[in-house]
Amino acid sequence: MSIPALIVQYWPRLLAGLALTVEITIISLILAGILGMVFGLLSVSKRKGLRAIALVYVDIVRGTPLLVQAFFIYFGIPAALGIQSDPVVSGVITLSLNAGGYLAEIVRGGIESISRGQMEAARSLGLPYGMAMRSVILPQAIRTMTPALINQCIITLKDTSLLSVIGVTELTQTGRLIIANNYQSFEVWAIVAVMYFIIIMILSKISKRIERKMSYGKSKN
Amino acid sequence: MGKVKIKNLKKNFGDLEVLKDINLEVKEREVICIIGASGSGKSTLLRCINALEDASSGTIEVDGNDITRADGNINKYRQDIGMVFQQFNLFPHMTVLKNISFAPVALKLKTKEEAEETALKLLRSVDLEEKANVYPEQLSGGQQQRVAIARALAMNPDVMLFDEPTSALDPEMVGEVLNVMKQLAKDGMTMIVVTHEMGFAREVADRVIFIDEGFIVEEGPPSEIFGNPKNQRTINFLNKVL
Repeated sequence: MSIPALIVQYWPRLLAGLALTVEITIISLILAGILGMVFGLLSVSKRKGLRAIALVYVDIVRGTPLLVQAFFIYFGIPAALGIQSDPVVSGVITLSLNAGGYLAEIVRGGIESISRGQMEAARSLGLPYGMAMRSVILPQAIRTMTPALINQCIITLKDTSLLSVIGVTELTQTGRLIIANNYQSFEVWAIVAVMYFIIIMILSKISKRIERKMSYGKSKN
Repeated sequence: MGKVKIKNLKKNFGDLEVLKDINLEVKEREVICIIGASGSGKSTLLRCINALEDASSGTIEVDGNDITRADGNINKYRQDIGMVFQQFNLFPHMTVLKNISFAPVALKLKTKEEAEETALKLLRSVDLEEKANVYPEQLSGGQQQRVAIARALAMNPDVMLFDEPTSALDPEMVGEVLNVMKQLAKDGMTMIVVTHEMGFAREVADRVIFIDEGFIVEEGPPSEIFGNPKNQRTINFLNKVL
């Protein structure tokens, strides 16, 4: 079968796979964003104990392969607890925890890139720490963080393909299942690759636009 | 009645004793200039007064409140202590107007309209009214520092602390900032100024304090400190800078 014919025949399945890929990416990134913000803020805390918690989390995420994390969460933990686990739920948990660790580092780096004088100036006006962080430090930090954040979004989107090994029928797993039927490995993987590529290109374009909008000062006057 | 009372203040950074035993009383409407070599502890002293540095021991009372035992009240106390930094530290993501009006609004001390009205009035007093809607990066250093002074004044502080406010400025901009500070002194603000501008200290200060190696070595009216210094270390320092 030619590539166009393959696309026509398997379009509903490919599209469903892509939809699940995007869905898992979005949900995971939202959860990871919360984790990243919380642990990122912990890691710049004045209290040693809080910094230690963040450090342990980030080290675990960075120190183990994503695939092992997925196996541990999908097979390991349910086996120990004697429960049934759902591949999509396990997949989302894995990616959230994983991306959360990297985002925490991005948030920490972003906050630390802002000169200490900014926090001091805000505190000297009588602003509490949280308010100073929220209104003065984070708005500036997010600007410097944006390229790294976008990069992490793209990485997480691509990492969803690893969830195929725990049986999540996202785009990669859909490709594998189609090939199991028709053995047209070259054509199907080419189609799958192009679909990832298009989605990621769209994401990059949108993010470039966001980045441009966020540069402040001169453009607004 | 002293506005600021510092008793037996000590400050260590690890093993390094930066402030060894500082005793100082600043009266209301008094302008104090603190002079001394780099590393003498003068900036640290200033930063202890609004708890940007925690004192290792001793007490610092501002308006009767002990800053060193502020606990939950430090934010409240700091509202009454204005601070101007060497590096200005304006918020780059806010317009000049927002820089000045932000804190009073965020702390619910004023409505947005009131705070902006005050901000414009303050901008007029530092001669920058036309810059209300620009961002700090579009201003010169001298203009930024004048905005920073206005921002501190927007909290209506009882005391103003200046940490080498002109040290990061190009020479031609020092005058405009000092003029704003002179006016402020004339208006009766209680000011503690860490500075290398001996001309300013001589002209504006009620009292000059010379700090060396963590101690107040000599203090007195500028005519005495500059005209007839008694301590050999003061003499050596003044010989170097004058």
